[in-house]
Formats: sequence, structure tokens, C-alpha cells
Amino acid sequence: MAEAMDPIHQFNIEPIVKLHPFGIDTSFTNASLFMAIIVLAASALMILGTSARSIVPGRLQSAAEMAYEFVANTVRMSSGSEGMKFFPFVFTLFLFVLFANLIGLIPYTFTVTSQIIVTFALAALVIGLVIAYGVIRHGTHFLGLFVPSGVAPALLPFIVLIEIISFISRPISLSVRLFANMLAGHITLKVMGAFVAALLGAGAYAIIAPLPLAAIVALTAFELLVAVLQAYVFAILTCVYLNDAIHPGH
Amino acid sequence: MGEREKPERQRPLGEEQNRADASGEADRRESAALRSRLDRLSADLDANRDLSAGNGEKDLGLSASSFGGAMNLGFRVLAEFVSAVVVGALLGWQLDKWFGTSPLFLLVLLLLGTAAGFWNVYRIAVKPSGPKS
Repeated sequence: MAEAMDPIHQFNIEPIVKLHPFGIDTSFTNASLFMAIIVLAASALMILGTSARSIVPGRLQSAAEMAYEFVANTVRMSSGSEGMKFFPFVFTLFLFVLFANLIGLIPYTFTVTSQIIVTFALAALVIGLVIAYGVIRHGTHFLGLFVPSGVAPALLPFIVLIEIISFISRPISLSVRLFANMLAGHITLKVMGAFVAALLGAGAYAIIAPLPLAAIVALTAFELLVAVLQAYVFAILTCVYLNDAIHPGH
Repeated sequence: MGEREKPERQRPLGEEQNRADASGEADRRESAALRSRLDRLSADLDANRDLSAGNGEKDLGLSASSFGGAMNLGFRVLAEFVSAVVVGALLGWQLDKWFGTSPLFLLVLLLLGTAAGFWNVYRIAVKPSGPKS
């Protein structure tokens, strides 16, 4: 009972197959299982969706085409047509986060994006790519990102420091936003569910048990919105940061 | 067009040529109609694209009309602000550990981090749709 009511229990990582080569824990956990499921589901949507190639698309093909066009428009709008060379990267990220969020909403599943290490790894990948591409493409001119134009020389050292801190904070804000949204949403749902169970077992108070139940219905719809929105926000901010790597000047 | 054909029909001699002219006229009319339909279609498409582009910009920006959009913007501002402060504090703490100057760098970088947080929020407010190029 205590385990069923514990709102944090759902985030426990449990090994399914234990593997400890060279003393490093590389067990296949429930998180790994759900990441594999996410990748398979996303690949299945795109492969099955594009296999028919009919002029009048079916449901699956529409979904695949809509996802493609949506991300393509996002990339083109926020980082220009030059940013389209990063489209496969952004599209993969978007689909991974979207499927992780959506699959996590199904009861008894594990939400991969509610683990900060997962979202931080994704954010670090984005920022790493921004730095690598910026340095390869522009060399030392990439550092011009930290020097905004039209600033009084007396203020410049402060501004540069602030810009550097602001740049370092990007992977943190990118990862924490996704992680906090998913974590908070899932804990809220679980707490509301525990309210229902506790009220039903509390004699006469069982009469108000439908209230939190109704709240769960509304919250689930809201979580669905948050799941899609956060995947979109992750994709768009990736584009904005990549735009900095393509055009480092302010 | 009908008026232009009329004087030709009164001439009895060039009847053969007359018929050829009429068929050419029909062809031209058809292609003109087709072109006007194509023009209309492309104008519609352009309008549609403009509309959807406008919508996309609105989604990114400050004009978060819906509850979800407002929540999203709020979370974004919160995350940007807090993360800059935290990064400043962590950098200062680590520099102090290296140089043994506690709490000099912690204080300075905490302040700078706070400034960077405000700067991040300011940037979201001023340039909502992201750099366009």
C-alpha cells in the first residue's frame, strides 16, 4: 500500500538484466527498456507511415507527414534555410522527447524524460554540437557570440562575463525545464490518484472522492498538452542555439 | 470575344480560316482560364502560408493567449533566470575552492549570475520569436 501511494516510487530505476563489466554498472534497466521502446515506436511511425506513399495519405502517413513538416517549418523559421542541414538532428530529438513524454503518460510506464540525467545528456548533446560546429565553421570568430556589438567599452568586461554565464546556463535551463515539467506533472497525477484511494477508504468522506478523480481527468489532458509543448520547446530552443552557431554575430 | 468573331463570320469566302481561328480562340480561352485558376490557387497558397507563418510566430512569442502557452512562457522565464543564478553560484564556489579565496568569487559571480538571469529574461521579452535570418 505504501509503495502504491508513494508519488516518487514511479521514478525508481530498477535493473532488469544486471551487467557489471569491469566494475561499471551497465545494467539494462527499465529506463533502457523504455528508451528502446521509444526509439522503436518513433521509427515505426516514420517507416510504416512513409511506406505507403499514397497521394491521399492515410492516418499514419498524415501523422508522419505532419510531424515532418512541423519540425521542418520550425527549423526553417528559427535558423533559416542554412539550419536545414541540422534538420535530421532536430527531428530525431523532437521525436525522441515527444515519444518519451507521450509514452510516459500511459499508466504503469516509465517516463524517461523525468530523469534529469537523460534530459541533461540531450541538452549537453545540443550545446556540444553548437560549440563544435561554431568552432569548426567560424574558428575564433565564434567567440564573437560573447561580445555583443554596440556596447560601451567600459561595460564590455561585465557584459562578456554575463554572456558567458548565460551561455553556460543554457544546457541547464534546457534540461531542467523538460525534467521539471515531466516530474511535476507525474507527481501531481500520482498524488491526486492517492487522494482518491485514501478518500474511498475513509468512510463517509468517500462521497467527495469523485472530486480528485475529476481533477485527474483534467490534469491528464493538461499533461498531454505539456508533453507535446515541451517536446516542441526543446526542438525550437535547439534551433535557436544552433542559429547562434551558424551566425555567431549579434 | 464574341463581338470580335462577328465581323469575320459575315465574310463568306474565308470560312475555312474562320473555323481555324475559332478553334485557336477556344484554345486561348481555355489556357487563359487555366492560368487564372493557377494564379488564384497560388495566391490562396501564399495567403495560407502567410497565415500559418504568422501563427507559428505567435506560438513562439510573448502573446501567449492560451493557458498552456502562458504556462510554457512562465516556465521558460523561470528556468532561464534560475539556471543563470545557479551557474553563477556554482562557478564562484568552484573558483573559490581552487584559489582559496572564499567567499570572494562566490559573491561576485552570484551577482553576475543574477545579472545574467535578468539579461536572459530580458532577451526573451525583447526577441520573442528567436533570431530570424
